[in-house]
Amino acid sequence: MTRQLVVTWIVLLAAVTAAWGLAAAMLPLPDYYLPPPTAVLAALGDLVAKGILPDYVAESVRRIVLAAVLGLVVGVPLGLILGMSRRVADFFYPLLNFFQSVSGVAWLPLMLVWFGFGERTILMAVNYTVLFPVIFNALLGVRSVPRLYVNALRTLGASPWRVARDVLVPGALPSIATGMRLGLAYGWRALIAAEMLVGANGLGFMIFNAQNFHLTARIMLGMGIIGVLWVALDYFLLRPLEEATVARWGLVQR
Amino acid sequence: MTAKIALQGLAHEYVNPFTRERVLALDGLELDVADGEFLTVVGPSGCGKTTLLNILAGLVSPTRGAVLVDGRRVTGPGRDRGVVFQEFAILPWRTVERNIAHGLEIQGVPRAERAASVRRFVELIGLTGFEKKYPHELSGGMRQRVAVARTLAANPEVMLMDEPFASVDAQTRITLQEELNAIAQATRKTILFVTHNVEEAVFLGDRCCVLSRRPGRVKALVGVNIPRERRTWKLFTSDPSFGATRDHVLRLVRQEVSGEDGVP
Repeated sequence: MTRQLVVTWIVLLAAVTAAWGLAAAMLPLPDYYLPPPTAVLAALGDLVAKGILPDYVAESVRRIVLAAVLGLVVGVPLGLILGMSRRVADFFYPLLNFFQSVSGVAWLPLMLVWFGFGERTILMAVNYTVLFPVIFNALLGVRSVPRLYVNALRTLGASPWRVARDVLVPGALPSIATGMRLGLAYGWRALIAAEMLVGANGLGFMIFNAQNFHLTARIMLGMGIIGVLWVALDYFLLRPLEEATVARWGLVQR
Repeated sequence: MTAKIALQGLAHEYVNPFTRERVLALDGLELDVADGEFLTVVGPSGCGKTTLLNILAGLVSPTRGAVLVDGRRVTGPGRDRGVVFQEFAILPWRTVERNIAHGLEIQGVPRAERAASVRRFVELIGLTGFEKKYPHELSGGMRQRVAVARTLAANPEVMLMDEPFASVDAQTRITLQEELNAIAQATRKTILFVTHNVEEAVFLGDRCCVLSRRPGRVKALVGVNIPRERRTWKLFTSDPSFGATRDHVLRLVRQEVSGEDGVP
């Protein structure tokens, strides 16, 4: 981000916060309906002091990181393998497309029956939600590698294994990066939803539980942290990863 | 003398994926290419030039007939036949030097030897200083030079070239043609070069093979009797036999485009 952009954002944020504070002070509404920014800040201080917030953030982050590792270690290789053969890819395409669209949230009622009211259901929902876009996009990535590159390598005397290693996998990387980004974005939402429903900790649990006690400031704080964590993850981890490989090869125009 | 490449009764039929029509691209094509010969192939568009090249490369199996290289039947791609494609087929995720070294890497040539070979070919194609660049940082002409160098470095016995200079600008094309001529003279490789550009075919070829309109057969083989040393555009175009040969080949191609037969 340029310096100018950062300044613009700071000014904008300050303006919105000021307007919000003004509205909270002027409007004839009870505090639990629209708490002022100071209340949210106080909630932050309180929850950090009690150690609740660091604990919940750690729990949520642990779950999404686990899903990310699973996506990389299982989802990407699986998608690559399925994409290698046109016939296998054509067979799995509608299946993967179907499961990608049925979000982990929609699976929650069934998972509750199968895996019970707890951690196992959360992990199943999140991992499932991350895995399918990752597999699907890795498969698409392999299929989208120009035939020309494959032919060029075959005429250099390359074995099928060599073609896979030197052409199909690097050629699929842009799509794999997209799949990881999409999968984790979906997964992050599914995680919050699952924590709301069956969690005993985590950010989703925090905001849902706060509603029972009319702790509106805590809800707003939780929402803010959910968003900030994602933006940070995307900006500091996913984008640099993409830029280190894909953008340098001129495959993605920025 | 036995032929380096022998095409025997080559026929190829395929189904157009869009119109679902059956297309007879080649029918009964017979052709011998001598060892060390530079043979150019011209013909009206759609006459099966690219199909012929893909069959020679082993990327497509002919419906009937056979391709023999050194008397052995071609059944698939092999490192004895290097290909330079019309589009730039170098890998965007490899630098210039790693693209050029790719064939040697596949052959298991040790690193030091690879590096020496890369240096030699980078110099030959005039890309010194660009070794670490990625293809998207190069112009079209430079990319095609890299593709040619990659094929040359792999040291195939036969080079197959499919309109390799069709998508570079006119100035660059002239340079590339002269460079290829020098390379052909230096390496004495057997080269089969497909083009739709008659001047290019006459400039580069020892012989120029004119294909008939679809289904492609050999209509004529025209010898170009100008020594390789005299093949720079300046010297070449001033040679009286150049114009005559070009006009002759052009007439042969035109007959096929317009469908006239037997017009002298």
